[in-house]
Amino acid sequence: MSASTIEYKGSGDHRIDMRWLQQAIEQDLSPKEISKSTLKLGSEQAPLGDIFTIDGKLSASEITLKNSTSQLDYVGVGLASAKTLLVEGDCGHYLGQQLAGGRLICNGSALHYAGCNMQSGSIEIMSNAGDYVGGSIAGNKRGMAGGRLLIHGNSGDFTGDLMRRGLLMIAGNIGDHCGNRMIAGTITSMGSVGENAGNGMRRGTLLFPSKPASMATGFSDCGRHSLGFLTLLMRDIRAPESAFQALHPMRRRVQRYLGDASVDGQGEVLIWIG
Amino acid sequence: MNINGVFIEDTFAEAFPMRATRVIITGINYKWARHAAETMTGFATSVIGCKVEAGIERELGNHETPDGRPGIAVLLFATDRKTLEAQLQARIGQCVLTCPTTAVFAGLEGEGQIALGKNLRYFGDGYQTSKQVDNHRYWRIPVMDGEFLCEETTGYQTAIGGGNLLVFARSLSQVLLACEAAIDAMSMLPNIILPFPGGGVRSGSKVGSKYKTLSASTNHPYCPTLKGLPDNVLDKNVEAVMEIVIDGLSIEDLNLAMRRGIEAICDLGKAQGIEKITGGNYGGKLGPHHFHLREIMGGDQT
Repeated sequence: MSASTIEYKGSGDHRIDMRWLQQAIEQDLSPKEISKSTLKLGSEQAPLGDIFTIDGKLSASEITLKNSTSQLDYVGVGLASAKTLLVEGDCGHYLGQQLAGGRLICNGSALHYAGCNMQSGSIEIMSNAGDYVGGSIAGNKRGMAGGRLLIHGNSGDFTGDLMRRGLLMIAGNIGDHCGNRMIAGTITSMGSVGENAGNGMRRGTLLFPSKPASMATGFSDCGRHSLGFLTLLMRDIRAPESAFQALHPMRRRVQRYLGDASVDGQGEVLIWIG
Repeated sequence: MNINGVFIEDTFAEAFPMRATRVIITGINYKWARHAAETMTGFATSVIGCKVEAGIERELGNHETPDGRPGIAVLLFATDRKTLEAQLQARIGQCVLTCPTTAVFAGLEGEGQIALGKNLRYFGDGYQTSKQVDNHRYWRIPVMDGEFLCEETTGYQTAIGGGNLLVFARSLSQVLLACEAAIDAMSMLPNIILPFPGGGVRSGSKVGSKYKTLSASTNHPYCPTLKGLPDNVLDKNVEAVMEIVIDGLSIEDLNLAMRRGIEAICDLGKAQGIEKITGGNYGGKLGPHHFHLREIMGGDQT
């Protein structure tokens, strides 16, 4: 497996737009060509070579981004399949936006909109993520549309906003408005969930170990059930190494809430029991 | 060729191409999974009258099924994809959906996909929901015992139907014993079914009839009560003939099944009243697949 390295040198307090990486990969630019191109830093421009050290061709199947900080936005945008991006450090906003089959691993935290509008592939964040994880950028009608997003820490508010498909796994706690306007897909957690979960939810599954602090008012209590599809889902949930592996593979007994009736929805909030 | 005194006729069993699919039915226990599988494969002996030939392939352990419950693998064979799909949906809808605690999953990758729960989902009257797991879509249909879970599609592939053996014996009880031994041996194999009742056929048919409306009729040359008539081929010491029909996913599967079947019959041997084994040879009228009995058994043996 071929590999290349990008090292962030650190350049003041400016936010840095990392979408150049996607363009460089698509255009198969050499490290020399990339170093010569310029990047906007606030109101000024600077050669990329002054900000990053690039070692090896970006056509490599594995790219490591070293010394990453929360200043770096749009890391791994549109990352295609057969590509792995390893991020050493934190990331800014829009980590893995519109991910297209690639594998993205961030060993720190990410700010808002991690995995928003991702299409397929997998994102793993070793620490926490901000708001709108797996959500949608402003103006888009659909959020995350496929793949797996695993956060080993906590996620913020509006987790899975407008989510359409895929699996969103939060090993820690989730903030308020989880599954807001959710269209389909699955969000699961091993921790607590905040206020107003499932608001405007049309379809999809929220699967938690305990009841959220509050749920949208349009949910009905459907009682306790053993649901067969959970066994299938559990295979997906338990696949990556995470806290979710503590769940028994045959676990299927849940308390089911159906809603949100305010949008004629048939989403479900499932709470593990037994 | 003689094996243990049993004459293996130098002929071939004639078989024809089919389309096949496999589904996996699971239940809370084997009892309920089997209820669904047996009902679903009922009235599915021959495409001549049933449109589809179906049977239970084998039991599956918890570790072999998608939802980790006891399961039954069912194979269905039809002459074309459209008929296979229609029969599958009708049978799943009437026999599995209705059966308490069951779920049904695709059991074949295949050359293409046919609907399994794709249309059945409308039984849910708008309360059905789907869940996509690992690139497979499953439908969850609310029913009175909870949810009926079924995969959206299953695969189908080209296959072979109508592989057969004809066993000649000196008495009915001896031919039954021999066929039961063969059926037991063949039933252990994957990728095949024996679609007739218990795996045996007593009403072997020939192609055509004196009656114009019938495409098949009794194989009168093999009927012992017609011995002595000009067309009848039975020796005077043969009192009963039985056929075993085999449908399989590939030529290799049928070859192996027929070999195991012949071996089991020949283990009983002439001493147990088995006179001869032959194949249903219709002069090429039935199908392009020809299973030469002596080749299957590895050439000349006396």
